[in-house]
Amino acid sequence: MSFIAPTLLAALPLVALPIIIHLINQRRFQTIRWGAMMFLLAANRLSRGYARLRQWLIMAFRMLAIAGLIFAIARPLASGWLGLTAGGRPDTTIVLLDRSPSMQETGPGGGSTKLETGRQRLVQALKMLGSSHWVLVDSTTNKAVEIESPDGLINSPASESASSASDLPAMLQAAHDYIQANKSGRTEIWICSDLRENDWDSESGRWQTLRESFREFPQGVRFHLLAYPQTTSENVAIRVTDVRRLQTSEAAELFLSLKLTRTPLLDSTSANSRGPDSKISIPIQFEIDGARSEMTIEMEGTQFELKDHRIPLERSHERGWGRVSIPADANLADNEFCFVFDRPVPRVAIILADDSQAARPLELAAAISPDPSVTTSAEIIGEEQLTTVEWEKVSLLVWQSPLPKGQTANIVKSFVERGGQALFLPPATPGPEQLFGVGWKKWVAEPEEITVDNFRGDQDLLANTQSGAALPVGQLQIRRYAELSTELSVEAFTPLASVRGGKPLLARATTPRGGAYFLATTPAPGDSSLATGGVVLYVLVQRALAAGAGVLSSTRQFVAGAQPEDDPATWQRITGDERAISTEFPFHRGVYAAGERLLAVNRPAAEDQAPVMADQRVSELFRGLDYSRVNDQAGSLGSLIQEIWRLFLAAMIVALIVEAGLCLPKLARARESLLKSEPEGFKA
Amino acid sequence: MFPDRHARSFLDAAVLSRLAAVPLFARKPMVGAVSGRHPSPYRGSSVEFAEYRKYVPGDDLRRLDWRAYGRSDRFYVKEFEADTNLRCCLVLDTSGSMDFGSTGITKIEYARRVAGALGYLALLQGDAVGLSCVANGIVRNIPPRRNPAHLTTVFDILEQAKPQNETQLAPVLHELAETIRQRALIIILSDFFVEPELLRGCFQHLRFRKHDVAAFHLLDPQELGFTFRRPMRFLDMEGGPAVFAEPNEIADRYLKVLEEYLVQIKQIMLESAMDYHRVTIDEDYEKVLTRFLVGRTRAKGAR
Repeated sequence: MSFIAPTLLAALPLVALPIIIHLINQRRFQTIRWGAMMFLLAANRLSRGYARLRQWLIMAFRMLAIAGLIFAIARPLASGWLGLTAGGRPDTTIVLLDRSPSMQETGPGGGSTKLETGRQRLVQALKMLGSSHWVLVDSTTNKAVEIESPDGLINSPASESASSASDLPAMLQAAHDYIQANKSGRTEIWICSDLRENDWDSESGRWQTLRESFREFPQGVRFHLLAYPQTTSENVAIRVTDVRRLQTSEAAELFLSLKLTRTPLLDSTSANSRGPDSKISIPIQFEIDGARSEMTIEMEGTQFELKDHRIPLERSHERGWGRVSIPADANLADNEFCFVFDRPVPRVAIILADDSQAARPLELAAAISPDPSVTTSAEIIGEEQLTTVEWEKVSLLVWQSPLPKGQTANIVKSFVERGGQALFLPPATPGPEQLFGVGWKKWVAEPEEITVDNFRGDQDLLANTQSGAALPVGQLQIRRYAELSTELSVEAFTPLASVRGGKPLLARATTPRGGAYFLATTPAPGDSSLATGGVVLYVLVQRALAAGAGVLSSTRQFVAGAQPEDDPATWQRITGDERAISTEFPFHRGVYAAGERLLAVNRPAAEDQAPVMADQRVSELFRGLDYSRVNDQAGSLGSLIQEIWRLFLAAMIVALIVEAGLCLPKLARARESLLKSEPEGFKA
Repeated sequence: MFPDRHARSFLDAAVLSRLAAVPLFARKPMVGAVSGRHPSPYRGSSVEFAEYRKYVPGDDLRRLDWRAYGRSDRFYVKEFEADTNLRCCLVLDTSGSMDFGSTGITKIEYARRVAGALGYLALLQGDAVGLSCVANGIVRNIPPRRNPAHLTTVFDILEQAKPQNETQLAPVLHELAETIRQRALIIILSDFFVEPELLRGCFQHLRFRKHDVAAFHLLDPQELGFTFRRPMRFLDMEGGPAVFAEPNEIADRYLKVLEEYLVQIKQIMLESAMDYHRVTIDEDYEKVLTRFLVGRTRAKGAR
């Protein structure tokens, strides 16, 4: 139990008051000359057990009454937040609010979401506790914002639900930076979250650093975690995995691929629970530019995929937006997914090669379209033509030549900067030049052909195919490769594939935007089998092209929370969350128009089936810190902390009543009447 | 009324004159020296016919009922009840505890008033009055006399009686039972702070001696109620050890013991055919005496 006014507890010694009064009373006795001593002596001889006990009980109840009064005015709080405010009012209270879509889950009886409940609870609790400064770190911007009062949590747009995932370590870092920058005094950090693994990123190395840096604060930082770990009821999330617009001579169609993910009830013993194997039918509603159609699917198991669902379009309808939705369930935030479509952008590749043997396979790989609806083209140019290229139409630059310098390097850099993709291959004679901190060293010729030791199949250019099969990278034969050099102390590149000895074969240079890849060998027959086993090269080039084209496209699928290229304040909402303010558009699901472009913002994929962290894992994250946790449920009505002075007052009253009852002379009235009865003279 | 004209603090002429309207009767036949208001165990010369008795030689011929002789040719003597005076012995407890009084009057003072009034009333109707002051023994004792001048002596002794020493009521009562001639009215004024069982023997003894015994049990309201609030040190008025007590703590048991005592003493008084009056000393003594006298009027007549 903790107290709002713990200083008043200093009055607790007053509890001894009845004893002191008793002792004083004992000392100031009166003396009387008394006749009826025989009764007194007899009374003294009688057992004094009960009377003595009664005396002590009366004393105890008096003390209890005083204690009750003192505790009541110290304003005790009943809550799970043990040791809540020992030491009184904190100087700064920082609230870390997880606004991720999973926080939109409602409780078992519907009603409020986890986020709403958490906010209410926090406001109630924080108002009661008081603080000098209030700071909110919300999960979208990860910036510490001072607020006037806890009420700000209810009304602020920065505390409404968002579609972006949270990054708890980053939020804690923001809190840490705030404390450091403002030299705040005793600080309390309140975290309201549903403990999803993807939000907390508990494996991250950042936690270790955070723990240590928080421990270094001399003023003491206290963590309170208001957790909503319960996944209350069955929930289905819908997601569009692919959208393509295909046009034949007769008609245009939109091919939509959907994925439905279902969270089954963890508690399979409850009566109304349906196992993950039970069949449910879900009506899916499609909305294309406001026109709706519906389709019902039967879902079995935890996942359902709908591949290439066709929706006919007007031929003239080349560009637009749409939305798929399912009926409301436990979590409203994942029942809708927005998408935008457009006629594919022509994919243009520029190839600059010294070696024609290397250039040809690259040109072929870039020029052959994977899809009849996509036009691709590749052009081999010389370095002198670079200035004349229409860079705003180029998706991929392939550079097999000494790394550019000066003006040329600037052109390439700005191309990558705007989101273009560049693939660098080693020239015949590597020079000392570097680009993006990476350069070529000398060629290494292997006595016999070597293979790729390992490669990253989970993401980027060599990722597995949509069906999950790995690319045949292992079958590649490398005869000769150039080593990468870097002068920067930090890793300037991320290896995507490497050969024996950990030498990178394909690496991605660290750039803020766009992509700069370094392939350590060429498709020339003397260098590798990239050209003969053309699948890897083709996929690699086409993926780079697609990524480059994606930036150029006038439509864009956008994961909420990612950094947009342009100022979101200029976006216009077409559909989406009405409560979102314009600066927060990148964090809210919806379709937005940014000038000529259409943007669909959606929640990250990890939100759909994010596991809840185990309790032990959570407490490990806060190991060594002053940390308390309370589990709550969405929609629960009680207050997080409650003032229970009434209870103490009631206890005091009860103690007083019992004390009064004990003080009453036992059957005094009856006895008195007996003694006072008029004795008639007895006659013989 | 007051031969020496000396005003006594414990006598109130108005009260006495009111009380004089009710005669003081004995409940049992008394043996007196002269004729009076009380029944006697003997035949006498009152107007109240008692019985016919066969003439035996030696009887006074004047008392022969000639009419009866005329009717029956036998000699009968006509006998009448005798009315006599009584000896009223006032027994005043002068032990230390009698000095207690919380309502402005002590028990001994109250006893003085009662004794004084009764003595006066008895003498007024021609009875003899005596007084014994008792504590741990018989302190003063004057035998009953019906001389009005004797009353002055009684009042003097009453006035001089000083409450001191402990109560030794039982041996004293036994002694009085023996020393007072048979068939007297004995009025005991005491707080009876003695084990009730000890008193039983005394009362039986008095009854055996054919005395008519009345007892005024004088108690202070404070003693009955034990209404103390603060811790008290009780000093024994009869010289015993002092007791320190917390009234809140002890009151219960005190009252319990007191109640048992009162029940027991009442029981003993009943069994011993005593004329028992428990008197709380804040009560008006005139009322108490009226009740006493009227009660006795109703009980009068047994021979």
